[in-house]
Amino acid sequence: MAQIEVRGLTKVFRRPEKDPGLVGALKHLVTRRFRDTVAVRGLDLDIEAGEAVAYVGPNGAGKSTTVKLLCGILVPTSGQVRVGGLVPHRDRVANARQIGVLFGQRSQLWWDLPVRESLGLLRDIYDLSPQDYRDQLERLDQVLELGDLLPVVARKLSLGQRMRADLAAALLHRPRIVYLDEPTIGLDIAVKDRVRQLLRGLRADGTTLILTTHDLGDIEDVCQRIVIIDGGRALYDGPLQGVKDTFARERRMHVQLADSGPEHAGVLAQLLPEATVLAGEQPGEFVIQFDRFTLPAGRVIAAVTRHTEVVDLRIDEPGIEDVIRRVYSGELSLADAP
Amino acid sequence: MTGTTVAAAAVRPPLRAYRAYARISARTVLTYRLNFALGLFGLLFQLLALLSIWGVLLRAGNTVGGFSWPQMKAYLLIAYGTNAIASSFGDMRMGFRIREGLVAIDLTKPVDFQRARFAETSGVAVVELATTAGICALVVGLAGPVSGPAPGQTGLFLLSLLPLLPLKFCTVYLAGLACFWTQNTFGVSLTRVAVTNLFSGALVPLALLPGWLQATAGVLPFASITATPAALYLGTATGTEALRLLAVQLAWAVGLWFGCRLIWRVAVRKLTVHGG
Repeated sequence: MAQIEVRGLTKVFRRPEKDPGLVGALKHLVTRRFRDTVAVRGLDLDIEAGEAVAYVGPNGAGKSTTVKLLCGILVPTSGQVRVGGLVPHRDRVANARQIGVLFGQRSQLWWDLPVRESLGLLRDIYDLSPQDYRDQLERLDQVLELGDLLPVVARKLSLGQRMRADLAAALLHRPRIVYLDEPTIGLDIAVKDRVRQLLRGLRADGTTLILTTHDLGDIEDVCQRIVIIDGGRALYDGPLQGVKDTFARERRMHVQLADSGPEHAGVLAQLLPEATVLAGEQPGEFVIQFDRFTLPAGRVIAAVTRHTEVVDLRIDEPGIEDVIRRVYSGELSLADAP
Repeated sequence: MTGTTVAAAAVRPPLRAYRAYARISARTVLTYRLNFALGLFGLLFQLLALLSIWGVLLRAGNTVGGFSWPQMKAYLLIAYGTNAIASSFGDMRMGFRIREGLVAIDLTKPVDFQRARFAETSGVAVVELATTAGICALVVGLAGPVSGPAPGQTGLFLLSLLPLLPLKFCTVYLAGLACFWTQNTFGVSLTRVAVTNLFSGALVPLALLPGWLQATAGVLPFASITATPAALYLGTATGTEALRLLAVQLAWAVGLWFGCRLIWRVAVRKLTVHGG
């Protein structure tokens, strides 16, 4: 049995539908109309202990809702969830002990108190021994450099500081399963690197990680598996490399030819019917787009060099970000993904 | 399934967790001393206003509804004290957390939601109790002699103070839960204060209210908050009547506590957390 098991999970929110203005508000008192919004639609998911999964999708795709269902904060409309053998919304308290949660956009620190007080409260809530508390704080301090933050009132922290303190708060009790909802949102590069370092460390320790993010650097740095959702449905679930092989097969070869005649574009297009040839920015530069599975790069090079002298060339490999950007913009449908 | 139940029982939150909630809320209140003081100032103002009105009415040995001036002073102090405990707008805070989706964070903690909120209320209550005692002493010093507890009633009066905290907590918590259905936290809180004031007897002793209002107060829990401790202190309820009032009080405290739990179970299904 997988550590996290999700079967046919569906969450429908019912929102009141009001006409604008006071009249609308009064009308709503008499004739209540609601609109159902399906946030998660028949989701199936299995996550094994120790996996690091990127959970990505455009805004409103249902990512956060899924995380909240996994935490037991929200009650599913239908379907099943099991986390470490527990049904989160029924055994919310027991489930809360085994998980660590970070909502990047909301702090779990006590806003009016120094960070140290918040961590002390969490120590008591999770019933940590003084030794465990010290050890874990020290470990977190090594990566997150908490020292300076501890005496500061949470509300006075900068975003980067707050996120570091919040990460410490989420990980203090050494949860087996960690959900991170946008853990690097709004952070500068230095803090981001630190957070990713921490996440890699967690993964090395065998912690199960589920990472909701728009930052594709997080994904490539930390996760082996990616689940792409949109409209509350999983469009793709598999290894990160698989997404690249399936959807990022396109290569762009930039070639700089010795002679800059405009006729080369037509000739190259004829030589490589499977590829698209575009004029580049420089005179004599051409961009050849091709699918690396139907047309090996070697054949492209061979064809070009047979035709004329090549001064320089480079090949661009699209990152996962290209794929996801295209999914977000509706350009690429993953519906027929393997 | 048995496995799960055992696991769930094994991780019953430790008392230490709730003590921590109480500690942290007391600390928060002390951090915002001014806010807290202003909150109590409203009640203090009400006390001073009522003291001056009744002072005029009961001057020169008059009695109204069986209250002499020293008795009325005792009554008003009890009303003030019972009103001040757990008054620091816990419902506003909870409503805010529900509305802003922060309640999601509360729910990621391995503690019972209602008990955690009760612990917070208790932490603040310690501070409230200390300030209330100070204010009562001050009023006694300034406004002259106050009736002591009626003979033989001290124990009953003290007993009636015990269910006060859960009772007050539940009324505030219920108002907080209402914010799952309405977004108007402020309105709910004001209504709660007004209803509690009227039907507990904090504004006017229940005996002086018109019959139909008295009857309404009789079937509501609020009388247990102020009228019951006052009746026991002043000796207007003695013997079996005193015991009956204590039983009613206890029944309300227990009933409301579990009623709140039921409502919570419905409310939490309505939870919509915005943002993604």
